[in-house]
Amino acid sequence: MQFDLSLILSGKYHDWLLSGLGVSLALTGITLLLALPLAIAIALCRLAPIKPLNWLALAYVETIRNIPLLAHLLFWYFGAPELLPDNIKEWLYSGNIEAISAVAGLTFYTAAYMSEDIRSGIRGIPVQQIEAARAIGFGFMATMRLVILPQALRITIPPLISQTLNLWKNTSIATVIGVAELMYQAQKVETDSFRSTEAFAFATASYLGVSLVITLLAALYHHRYPVRNV
Amino acid sequence: MRIRLSHLTIALILGASVASAAHADQLSDIKKKGELVCGVLGTDEPNSFVDPKTREIVGYEVDLCNDIAQKIGVKPVLKQIAVAARIPELQQGRVDILTASLTHNKEREGLIDFSLSTFITGQRVLVKKSSGITDVAQLAGKKVLTVKGGTQEPNLKRAVPTADVVTYETTVQAFLGLQQGKGVGYVDDEASLLNNYAKLGAAQKDYLVLPQSLSTEALAIGIRKGEPEIKTLVDGVLRDLEKSGDAQKLFVKWYGPNSNLKFQTRTFKIDSDKIEG
Repeated sequence: MQFDLSLILSGKYHDWLLSGLGVSLALTGITLLLALPLAIAIALCRLAPIKPLNWLALAYVETIRNIPLLAHLLFWYFGAPELLPDNIKEWLYSGNIEAISAVAGLTFYTAAYMSEDIRSGIRGIPVQQIEAARAIGFGFMATMRLVILPQALRITIPPLISQTLNLWKNTSIATVIGVAELMYQAQKVETDSFRSTEAFAFATASYLGVSLVITLLAALYHHRYPVRNV
Repeated sequence: MRIRLSHLTIALILGASVASAAHADQLSDIKKKGELVCGVLGTDEPNSFVDPKTREIVGYEVDLCNDIAQKIGVKPVLKQIAVAARIPELQQGRVDILTASLTHNKEREGLIDFSLSTFITGQRVLVKKSSGITDVAQLAGKKVLTVKGGTQEPNLKRAVPTADVVTYETTVQAFLGLQQGKGVGYVDDEASLLNNYAKLGAAQKDYLVLPQSLSTEALAIGIRKGEPEIKTLVDGVLRDLEKSGDAQKLFVKWYGPNSNLKFQTRTFKIDSDKIEG
């Protein structure tokens, strides 16, 4: 069978694949926006001077990280919404429940990993800075917000970009809950045309291309803002 | 623009369906390794599914696989595969034949060969009565659930072009989605659909199998292209089953009134590998 490039450069299949790429990018973007603040909150909970909060955050991170993402997504799609009251459930189901479940699953999953990176970043700041801030009268939150986090986030950016790379690839798993992202559309093209090579070549090139762009951003960032010795 | 790619490039592309490997003679290969590998779904009662008591994969197509292996004089081995992986698995030689609820259609004839049709069925739609839908045409603009990689989605799109189709990895998930209210309809092969409908028990009163079929489907055993010896052998086994009356018995065992599917009569014979075009 010949490789027919025109199939993925124009026409119906091209449109399907392109819409899949758009959905994958949107999933990544929305999840990133939601996961980052959640990850910071979890990292702070793990370091806060309140024991029950530490345990809660630890339990969250370990539970999420030790269950495969596939199971997470199936749970957020087939399991979790069923626990809601009927009227909320019906309202959810009348909308795009596939995408909502995928964003929920990906956000909780990604935030667990990101929170660990942010926690390492915070621990990378010498403890004397915390002591100094506390000594001049800052509380825990003020110390974090004004002294520690601005420095910690800066050294955390490279691992966070690497988590974004993982997130971008992880969106492909949303195909199992019927989200019309890139892998879903590639499989649909395959089913419709039997042109597996072309469909997955497009998907492969897209994942690789976007991943390389993210990696490039990481390299640029590292060049522009090298980690300072603190 | 058409580009012919080198073998190297093709090998680099993950998940690509590579043209069938050039085996000299598949039948002697099967005899040499002493086993016939049948690709089955294992999730599609009654064709191939896990028996809850024995935890083994059994079914109509499993029995056919066993009969074919017996005829060759080798051990049958079942390999569970996903709906969308069926044809690539066969082409790449990871299974010897496909007994995997495989629809015989014109588009697939270019890729693989088919045995005599082993089952003739249609595809149907199950809806909740509360949706008020009584006719296939009313699915327009509505969310309809089915499985990935099969003929269900293309057939539904042909019947109702504006339906919003959502697909999952298994038919069971699509059926679960309907029960949970994630779509108004669930499309599947008649046999699987009626089987799932039967499992609803008392809740059946809330559901409706739409009267129209989306299509007529012939299921057949998938055989790699260019293996006439296998096709002759498989067709021979199927013809013998029909002649001896065993095919009728198999139908009654898996599809008949005492099975979960409760088909009252068998409306087809295993005698043709031609399909309507």
